[in-house]
Amino acid sequence: MSAALSAPPAEDEALEALERGDRKAALTVLMRDYGATLYRYCCKMVGNNDLAEEAHQMTFVQAYEGLARFAGRSSLRTWLFGIARHRCLDAAKIARRRSRRFELVDELPESPDEAEVAEDELAGRDLRQALGRCIDKLAPAVRTAVLLRYQQDISYPDMAQICKARPATLQARVARAMPVLRRCMENQGLRL
Amino acid sequence: MNASMSREERFEQVGLLQIEQGEALGDDFAHPELAATRRTYGALRQALTTVGEEASPPAGWEARVFATIARRKSARRRGGWLRLLIPAGAAAALAALLLVGTPPGPDEGVATLTVRVEAGAGPARRGSEAHPGDRLRLEARTGDAAHAELRVYRSDRELVLRCSTAPPCVRQGQTLRADVPLPALGTYQSLLLLSDSPLPAPAGTLDADAGSALEAGAHVTLGDEVSVQ
Repeated sequence: MSAALSAPPAEDEALEALERGDRKAALTVLMRDYGATLYRYCCKMVGNNDLAEEAHQMTFVQAYEGLARFAGRSSLRTWLFGIARHRCLDAAKIARRRSRRFELVDELPESPDEAEVAEDELAGRDLRQALGRCIDKLAPAVRTAVLLRYQQDISYPDMAQICKARPATLQARVARAMPVLRRCMENQGLRL
Repeated sequence: MNASMSREERFEQVGLLQIEQGEALGDDFAHPELAATRRTYGALRQALTTVGEEASPPAGWEARVFATIARRKSARRRGGWLRLLIPAGAAAALAALLLVGTPPGPDEGVATLTVRVEAGAGPARRGSEAHPGDRLRLEARTGDAAHAELRVYRSDRELVLRCSTAPPCVRQGQTLRADVPLPALGTYQSLLLLSDSPLPAPAGTLDADAGSALEAGAHVTLGDEVSVQ
Protein backbone atom coordinates (compact mmCIF):
# COMPACT_ATOMS: atom_id res chain seq x y z
CA MET A 1 0.00 0.00 0.00
CA SER A 2 1.08 3.55 -0.55
CA ALA A 3 2.75 5.28 2.33
CA ALA A 4 1.32 8.63 1.37
CA LEU A 5 -1.56 8.37 3.85
CA SER A 6 0.93 8.32 6.68
CA ALA A 7 2.75 11.38 5.41
CA PRO A 8 1.22 14.32 7.25
CA PRO A 9 4.59 16.15 7.43
CA ALA A 10 4.14 17.03 3.75
CA GLU A 11 0.71 18.44 4.47
CA ASP A 12 2.00 20.41 7.45
CA GLU A 13 4.96 21.74 5.51
CA ALA A 14 2.80 22.82 2.60
CA LEU A 15 0.19 24.40 4.88
CA GLU A 16 2.88 26.32 6.74
CA ALA A 17 4.17 27.65 3.43
CA LEU A 18 0.64 28.68 2.50
CA GLU A 19 0.23 30.51 5.79
CA ARG A 20 3.37 32.47 4.95
CA GLY A 21 1.80 33.27 1.60
CA ASP A 22 4.47 31.29 -0.23
CA ARG A 23 2.48 29.33 -2.79
CA LYS A 24 5.61 28.41 -4.68
CA ALA A 25 7.11 26.71 -1.65
CA ALA A 26 3.81 24.94 -0.96
CA LEU A 27 3.67 23.68 -4.53
CA THR A 28 7.27 22.52 -4.34
CA VAL A 29 6.40 20.40 -1.30
CA LEU A 30 3.36 18.95 -3.05
CA MET A 31 5.37 18.14 -6.17
CA ARG A 32 8.10 16.55 -4.09
CA ASP A 33 5.79 14.36 -2.03
CA TYR A 34 2.90 13.63 -4.35
CA GLY A 35 4.40 14.12 -7.81
CA ALA A 36 5.46 10.53 -8.37
CA THR A 37 2.36 8.84 -6.99
CA LEU A 38 0.09 11.22 -8.91
CA TYR A 39 2.03 10.43 -12.07
CA ARG A 40 1.36 6.70 -11.56
CA TYR A 41 -2.33 7.47 -11.24
CA CYS A 42 -2.37 9.65 -14.35
CA CYS A 43 -0.52 7.06 -16.43
CA LYS A 44 -3.01 4.33 -15.59
CA MET A 45 -6.01 6.61 -15.88
CA VAL A 46 -5.08 8.04 -19.25
CA GLY A 47 -3.34 5.09 -20.88
CA ASN A 48 -1.20 7.37 -23.05
CA ASN A 49 2.11 8.61 -21.70
CA ASP A 50 2.18 11.96 -23.51
CA LEU A 51 -1.34 12.84 -22.47
CA ALA A 52 -0.70 11.56 -18.94
CA GLU A 53 2.36 13.80 -18.65
CA GLU A 54 0.31 16.78 -19.75
CA ALA A 55 -2.50 15.98 -17.32
CA HIS A 56 0.02 15.50 -14.53
CA GLN A 57 1.69 18.82 -15.27
CA MET A 58 -1.60 20.71 -15.54
CA THR A 59 -2.73 19.25 -12.23
CA PHE A 60 0.12 21.05 -10.49
CA VAL A 61 -0.29 24.22 -12.55
CA GLN A 62 -3.95 24.40 -11.54
CA ALA A 63 -3.06 23.48 -7.98
CA TYR A 64 -0.70 26.47 -7.85
CA GLU A 65 -3.43 28.73 -9.18
CA GLY A 66 -5.95 27.37 -6.68
CA LEU A 67 -3.75 27.18 -3.60
CA ALA A 68 -4.59 30.73 -2.56
CA ARG A 69 -8.23 29.67 -2.30
CA PHE A 70 -7.58 26.32 -0.62
CA ALA A 71 -10.09 26.23 2.24
CA GLY A 72 -8.85 23.17 4.08
CA ARG A 73 -12.09 21.24 3.73
CA SER A 74 -10.01 18.19 2.85
CA SER A 75 -6.36 17.24 2.99
CA LEU A 76 -4.15 18.77 0.34
CA ARG A 77 -3.60 15.31 -1.06
CA THR A 78 -7.34 14.72 -1.49
CA TRP A 79 -7.73 18.16 -3.02
CA LEU A 80 -4.84 17.48 -5.41
CA PHE A 81 -6.33 14.17 -6.52
CA GLY A 82 -9.62 15.95 -7.12
CA ILE A 83 -7.88 18.21 -9.62
CA ALA A 84 -5.98 15.28 -11.11
CA ARG A 85 -9.16 13.28 -11.57
CA HIS A 86 -10.65 15.99 -13.78
CA ARG A 87 -7.48 16.50 -15.79
CA CYS A 88 -6.98 12.76 -16.27
CA LEU A 89 -10.60 12.14 -17.25
CA ASP A 90 -10.28 14.89 -19.87
CA ALA A 91 -7.05 13.36 -21.13
CA ALA A 92 -8.61 9.90 -21.12
CA LYS A 93 -11.42 11.21 -23.31
CA ILE A 94 -8.90 12.50 -25.79
CA ALA A 95 -7.04 9.21 -25.68
CA ARG A 96 -10.28 7.32 -26.19
CA ARG A 97 -11.19 9.40 -29.20
CA ARG A 98 -7.79 8.63 -30.60
CA SER A 99 -7.74 4.94 -30.00
CA ARG A 100 -11.34 3.85 -29.48
CA ARG A 101 -9.99 1.11 -27.30
CA PHE A 102 -11.94 1.51 -24.05
CA GLU A 103 -14.80 -0.79 -23.22
CA LEU A 104 -17.37 -0.62 -20.48
CA VAL A 105 -16.98 -3.08 -17.63
CA ASP A 106 -19.97 -5.07 -18.77
CA GLU A 107 -18.55 -5.26 -22.23
CA LEU A 108 -15.28 -6.88 -21.27
CA PRO A 109 -14.60 -10.00 -23.29
CA GLU A 110 -15.65 -13.15 -21.48
CA SER A 111 -13.45 -15.44 -23.49
CA PRO A 112 -9.74 -15.26 -24.19
CA ASP A 113 -8.74 -13.08 -27.06
CA GLU A 114 -6.54 -15.26 -29.19
CA ALA A 115 -4.45 -12.29 -30.23
CA GLU A 116 -3.79 -11.47 -26.60
CA VAL A 117 -2.77 -14.92 -25.46
CA ALA A 118 -0.17 -15.69 -28.07
CA GLU A 119 2.39 -17.93 -26.43
CA ASP A 120 5.34 -15.68 -27.15
CA GLU A 121 3.63 -12.78 -25.52
CA LEU A 122 2.51 -14.83 -22.54
CA ALA A 123 6.00 -16.07 -21.93
CA GLY A 124 7.36 -12.61 -21.33
CA ARG A 125 4.33 -11.04 -19.78
CA ASP A 126 4.63 -9.47 -16.42
CA LEU A 127 1.67 -9.89 -14.11
CA ARG A 128 1.69 -6.19 -13.33
CA GLN A 129 1.59 -5.25 -16.99
CA ALA A 130 -1.23 -7.69 -17.62
CA LEU A 131 -3.20 -6.27 -14.74
CA GLY A 132 -2.52 -2.79 -16.07
CA ARG A 133 -4.00 -3.78 -19.40
CA CYS A 134 -7.08 -5.15 -17.69
CA ILE A 135 -7.48 -1.89 -15.79
CA ASP A 136 -7.23 -0.01 -19.08
CA LYS A 137 -10.36 -1.83 -20.20
CA LEU A 138 -12.47 -0.62 -17.30
CA ALA A 139 -14.80 2.31 -17.84
CA PRO A 140 -13.12 5.54 -16.69
CA ALA A 141 -15.32 6.02 -13.61
CA VAL A 142 -14.67 2.44 -12.50
CA ARG A 143 -10.98 2.68 -13.28
CA THR A 144 -10.70 5.84 -11.17
CA ALA A 145 -12.36 4.14 -8.22
CA VAL A 146 -10.13 1.06 -8.42
CA LEU A 147 -6.94 3.09 -8.75
CA LEU A 148 -7.77 5.52 -5.97
CA ARG A 149 -8.73 2.70 -3.63
CA TYR A 150 -5.88 0.30 -4.25
CA GLN A 151 -3.06 1.95 -6.17
CA GLN A 152 -3.33 5.11 -4.08
CA ASP A 153 -4.71 3.62 -0.83
CA ILE A 154 -7.26 6.40 -0.43
CA SER A 155 -10.18 5.89 1.94
CA TYR A 156 -13.74 5.83 0.65
CA PRO A 157 -14.71 9.05 2.45
CA ASP A 158 -11.78 10.82 0.76
CA MET A 159 -12.60 9.17 -2.56
CA ALA A 160 -16.14 10.49 -2.19
CA GLN A 161 -14.74 14.02 -2.03
CA ILE A 162 -12.47 13.45 -4.99
CA CYS A 163 -15.09 11.78 -7.19
CA LYS A 164 -18.13 13.72 -5.98
CA ALA A 165 -19.94 10.42 -5.43
CA ARG A 166 -21.31 8.57 -2.42
CA PRO A 167 -18.94 6.13 -0.69
CA ALA A 168 -21.47 3.33 -1.22
CA THR A 169 -21.47 3.98 -4.95
CA LEU A 170 -17.71 3.84 -5.08
CA GLN A 171 -17.59 0.68 -2.97
CA ALA A 172 -20.01 -0.98 -5.34
CA ARG A 173 -17.95 0.09 -8.36
CA VAL A 174 -14.79 -1.38 -6.92
CA ALA A 175 -16.49 -4.58 -5.73
CA ARG A 176 -18.02 -5.15 -9.17
CA ALA A 177 -14.71 -4.48 -10.89
CA MET A 178 -12.84 -7.15 -8.94
CA PRO A 179 -14.39 -10.23 -10.63
CA VAL A 180 -14.05 -8.46 -13.97
CA LEU A 181 -10.34 -7.98 -13.39
CA ARG A 182 -9.97 -11.57 -12.23
CA ARG A 183 -11.64 -12.92 -15.37
CA CYS A 184 -9.59 -10.59 -17.53
CA MET A 185 -6.38 -11.91 -15.97
CA GLU A 186 -7.53 -15.50 -16.36
CA ASN A 187 -8.45 -14.83 -19.94
CA GLN A 188 -4.85 -13.81 -20.50
CA GLY A 189 -3.73 -17.13 -19.06
CA LEU A 190 -2.69 -15.70 -15.71
CA ARG A 191 -3.90 -16.98 -12.36
CA LEU A 192 -3.37 -14.87 -9.26
CA MET B 1 -30.54 -13.64 -4.39
CA ASN B 2 -30.77 -16.42 -6.94
CA ALA B 3 -31.02 -19.80 -5.14
CA SER B 4 -29.09 -21.55 -7.88
CA MET B 5 -26.13 -19.23 -7.43
CA SER B 6 -22.97 -20.97 -6.35
CA ARG B 7 -21.16 -20.05 -3.16
CA GLU B 8 -18.39 -18.46 -5.21
CA GLU B 9 -20.85 -16.39 -7.21
CA ARG B 10 -22.48 -15.19 -3.97
CA PHE B 11 -19.05 -14.30 -2.63
CA GLU B 12 -18.34 -12.25 -5.74
CA GLN B 13 -21.67 -10.47 -5.52
CA VAL B 14 -21.93 -9.97 -1.77
CA GLY B 15 -18.64 -10.87 -0.10
CA LEU B 16 -16.51 -8.56 -2.21
CA LEU B 17 -18.84 -5.68 -1.44
CA GLN B 18 -18.62 -6.48 2.27
CA ILE B 19 -14.84 -6.31 2.00
CA GLU B 20 -15.00 -2.89 0.34
CA GLN B 21 -17.43 -1.72 2.99
CA GLY B 22 -14.99 -2.82 5.67
CA GLU B 23 -17.43 -5.33 7.09
CA ALA B 24 -16.62 -8.76 8.45
CA LEU B 25 -17.39 -11.53 5.97
CA GLY B 26 -20.49 -13.55 6.68
CA ASP B 27 -20.06 -17.12 7.98
CA ASP B 28 -21.01 -18.53 4.61
CA PHE B 29 -18.03 -16.82 3.01
CA ALA B 30 -15.62 -18.28 5.57
CA HIS B 31 -16.38 -21.74 4.18
CA PRO B 32 -13.20 -23.73 3.32
CA GLU B 33 -14.55 -24.21 -0.18
CA LEU B 34 -13.92 -20.52 -0.77
CA ALA B 35 -10.38 -20.46 0.58
CA ALA B 36 -8.81 -20.39 -2.89
CA THR B 37 -11.22 -17.69 -4.05
CA ARG B 38 -10.47 -15.52 -1.04
CA ARG B 39 -6.76 -15.96 -1.67
CA THR B 40 -7.21 -15.02 -5.33
CA TYR B 41 -8.95 -11.77 -4.46
CA GLY B 42 -6.43 -11.04 -1.74
CA ALA B 43 -3.67 -11.46 -4.30
CA LEU B 44 -5.56 -9.25 -6.76
CA ARG B 45 -5.92 -6.48 -4.19
CA GLN B 46 -2.22 -6.75 -3.43
CA ALA B 47 -1.29 -6.70 -7.12
CA LEU B 48 -3.40 -3.58 -7.63
CA THR B 49 -1.24 -1.68 -5.16
CA THR B 50 1.74 -2.12 -7.47
CA VAL B 51 0.13 -1.16 -10.77
CA GLY B 52 2.15 1.45 -12.60
CA GLU B 53 4.96 1.19 -10.06
CA GLU B 54 7.55 1.40 -12.83
CA ALA B 55 6.25 4.76 -14.07
CA SER B 56 8.04 7.89 -12.90
CA PRO B 57 7.69 11.49 -14.07
CA PRO B 58 10.21 12.68 -16.68
CA ALA B 59 13.26 14.57 -15.46
CA GLY B 60 12.73 18.29 -15.17
CA TRP B 61 8.94 18.08 -14.94
CA GLU B 62 8.85 20.42 -11.96
CA ALA B 63 10.67 23.11 -13.95
CA ARG B 64 8.14 22.74 -16.75
CA VAL B 65 5.31 23.21 -14.25
CA PHE B 66 6.85 26.46 -13.03
CA ALA B 67 7.51 27.58 -16.60
CA THR B 68 3.87 26.97 -17.49
CA ILE B 69 2.74 28.85 -14.39
CA ALA B 70 4.94 31.81 -15.32
CA ARG B 71 3.63 31.85 -18.87
CA ARG B 72 0.00 31.68 -17.82
CA LYS B 73 0.59 34.44 -15.30
CA SER B 74 2.23 36.58 -17.94
CA ALA B 75 -0.60 35.98 -20.37
CA ARG B 76 -3.17 37.02 -17.80
CA ARG B 77 -1.27 40.19 -16.93
CA ARG B 78 -1.11 41.37 -20.50
CA GLY B 79 -4.60 40.34 -21.54
CA GLY B 80 -5.97 36.99 -22.46
CA TRP B 81 -7.28 38.31 -25.78
CA LEU B 82 -3.97 37.47 -27.39
CA ARG B 83 -4.80 33.81 -27.01
CA LEU B 84 -7.83 34.24 -29.22
CA LEU B 85 -5.75 35.58 -32.05
CA ILE B 86 -2.85 33.21 -32.18
CA PRO B 87 -2.22 29.54 -31.45
CA ALA B 88 -1.66 28.63 -27.82
CA GLY B 89 2.01 27.83 -28.15
CA ALA B 90 2.77 31.04 -29.97
CA ALA B 91 0.68 32.96 -27.43
CA ALA B 92 2.74 31.61 -24.57
CA ALA B 93 5.97 32.52 -26.30
CA LEU B 94 4.76 35.97 -27.31
CA ALA B 95 3.34 36.69 -23.87
CA ALA B 96 6.69 35.82 -22.35
CA LEU B 97 8.42 38.02 -24.91
CA LEU B 98 6.17 41.01 -24.27
CA LEU B 99 6.73 40.72 -20.58
CA VAL B 100 10.46 41.06 -20.55
CA GLY B 101 11.26 43.13 -17.53
CA THR B 102 7.98 42.70 -15.71
CA PRO B 103 8.83 42.15 -12.06
CA PRO B 104 7.40 39.04 -10.46
CA GLY B 105 4.27 39.45 -8.38
CA PRO B 106 4.15 39.61 -4.60
CA ASP B 107 3.27 35.95 -4.35
CA GLU B 108 6.60 34.83 -5.70
CA GLY B 109 8.18 34.51 -2.27
CA VAL B 110 11.68 35.64 -1.43
CA ALA B 111 13.30 34.57 -4.68
CA THR B 112 12.58 36.70 -7.72
CA LEU B 113 14.28 37.01 -11.06
CA THR B 114 13.76 40.09 -13.20
CA VAL B 115 14.79 40.00 -16.85
CA ARG B 116 15.35 43.11 -18.98
CA VAL B 117 16.63 43.55 -22.49
CA GLU B 118 19.08 46.37 -23.13
CA ALA B 119 19.27 47.42 -26.74
CA GLY B 120 22.67 47.38 -28.38
CA ALA B 121 22.79 51.16 -28.26
CA GLY B 122 20.33 52.64 -25.86
CA PRO B 123 18.62 52.22 -22.52
CA ALA B 124 17.04 49.08 -21.17
CA ARG B 125 13.68 48.45 -22.79
CA ARG B 126 10.62 46.60 -21.70
CA GLY B 127 8.29 44.58 -23.81
CA SER B 128 10.26 44.87 -26.99
CA GLU B 129 11.91 42.40 -29.25
CA ALA B 130 15.50 41.45 -28.68
CA HIS B 131 17.96 41.42 -31.52
CA PRO B 132 21.45 40.01 -31.89
CA GLY B 133 23.82 42.40 -30.14
CA ASP B 134 21.36 43.31 -27.39
CA ARG B 135 22.15 42.41 -23.80
CA LEU B 136 20.18 40.62 -21.14
CA ARG B 137 20.15 42.23 -17.71
CA LEU B 138 19.31 39.87 -14.88
CA GLU B 139 18.55 40.97 -11.36
CA ALA B 140 17.67 38.43 -8.71
CA ARG B 141 16.61 38.63 -5.09
CA THR B 142 18.32 35.76 -3.37
CA GLY B 143 17.20 36.05 0.24
CA ASP B 144 19.67 34.50 2.62
CA ALA B 145 20.53 31.51 0.44
CA ALA B 146 24.13 30.42 0.94
CA HIS B 147 24.45 29.47 -2.72
CA ALA B 148 22.90 31.52 -5.50
CA GLU B 149 23.56 31.01 -9.17
CA LEU B 150 22.28 32.54 -12.38
CA ARG B 151 22.11 30.49 -15.54
CA VAL B 152 20.94 31.29 -19.04
CA TYR B 153 20.14 28.65 -21.63
CA ARG B 154 19.80 29.26 -25.33
CA SER B 155 17.00 27.26 -26.96
CA ASP B 156 16.91 25.08 -23.80
CA ARG B 157 19.98 23.17 -24.95
CA GLU B 158 22.99 25.46 -24.72
CA LEU B 159 24.23 26.89 -21.42
CA VAL B 160 25.45 30.40 -22.24
CA LEU B 161 25.85 31.78 -18.71
CA ARG B 162 26.60 30.28 -15.34
CA CYS B 163 27.84 32.49 -12.53
CA SER B 164 27.39 33.17 -8.83
CA THR B 165 29.97 35.51 -7.33
CA ALA B 166 32.50 35.90 -10.14
CA PRO B 167 31.97 38.18 -13.18
CA PRO B 168 29.75 38.69 -14.99
CA CYS B 169 27.78 38.10 -11.76
CA VAL B 170 27.87 40.65 -8.98
CA ARG B 171 26.38 39.74 -5.62
CA GLN B 172 25.61 42.53 -3.19
CA GLY B 173 23.75 41.53 -0.07
CA GLN B 174 20.57 39.79 -1.17
CA THR B 175 20.83 40.89 -4.79
CA LEU B 176 22.56 39.07 -7.61
CA ARG B 177 23.03 40.79 -10.98
CA ALA B 178 24.50 39.83 -14.31
CA ASP B 179 24.72 41.22 -17.82
CA VAL B 180 24.73 38.75 -20.68
CA PRO B 181 25.30 39.45 -24.39
CA LEU B 182 22.74 38.04 -26.81
CA PRO B 183 24.88 37.32 -29.85
CA ALA B 184 22.76 34.72 -31.63
CA LEU B 185 19.16 34.05 -32.60
CA GLY B 186 17.13 31.79 -30.35
CA THR B 187 15.11 31.75 -27.15
CA TYR B 188 16.96 32.58 -23.94
CA GLN B 189 15.66 31.15 -20.67
CA SER B 190 17.16 32.44 -17.45
CA LEU B 191 17.21 30.54 -14.19
CA LEU B 192 17.91 31.51 -10.60
CA LEU B 193 19.03 28.63 -8.39
CA LEU B 194 19.10 29.02 -4.62
CA SER B 195 20.25 26.51 -2.08
CA ASP B 196 21.87 26.24 1.31
CA SER B 197 24.10 23.46 0.00
CA PRO B 198 26.36 23.46 -3.08
CA LEU B 199 24.44 23.32 -6.34
CA PRO B 200 24.94 20.40 -8.74
CA ALA B 201 27.08 21.12 -11.78
CA PRO B 202 25.07 21.66 -14.95
CA ALA B 203 24.94 19.11 -17.73
CA GLY B 204 24.02 21.79 -20.23
CA THR B 205 20.31 21.39 -20.93
CA LEU B 206 17.56 23.30 -19.18
CA ASP B 207 15.32 20.36 -18.31
CA ALA B 208 18.09 18.14 -17.00
CA ASP B 209 19.78 20.90 -15.02
CA ALA B 210 16.59 22.26 -13.49
CA GLY B 211 15.58 18.70 -12.65
CA SER B 212 18.85 17.83 -10.96
CA ALA B 213 18.82 21.11 -9.02
CA LEU B 214 15.30 20.42 -7.78
CA GLU B 215 16.25 16.90 -6.86
CA ALA B 216 19.16 18.33 -4.87
CA GLY B 217 16.68 20.45 -2.93
CA ALA B 218 17.44 23.76 -4.65
CA HIS B 219 14.82 26.44 -5.19
CA VAL B 220 14.49 27.11 -8.92
CA THR B 221 13.02 30.34 -10.30
CA LEU B 222 12.49 30.82 -14.02
CA GLY B 223 12.77 34.25 -15.55
CA ASP B 224 10.70 35.36 -18.51
CA GLU B 225 11.84 33.83 -21.76
CA VAL B 226 13.46 36.17 -24.28
CA SER B 227 13.35 35.51 -27.99
CA VAL B 228 16.15 36.98 -30.07
CA GLN B 229 15.02 37.48 -33.66
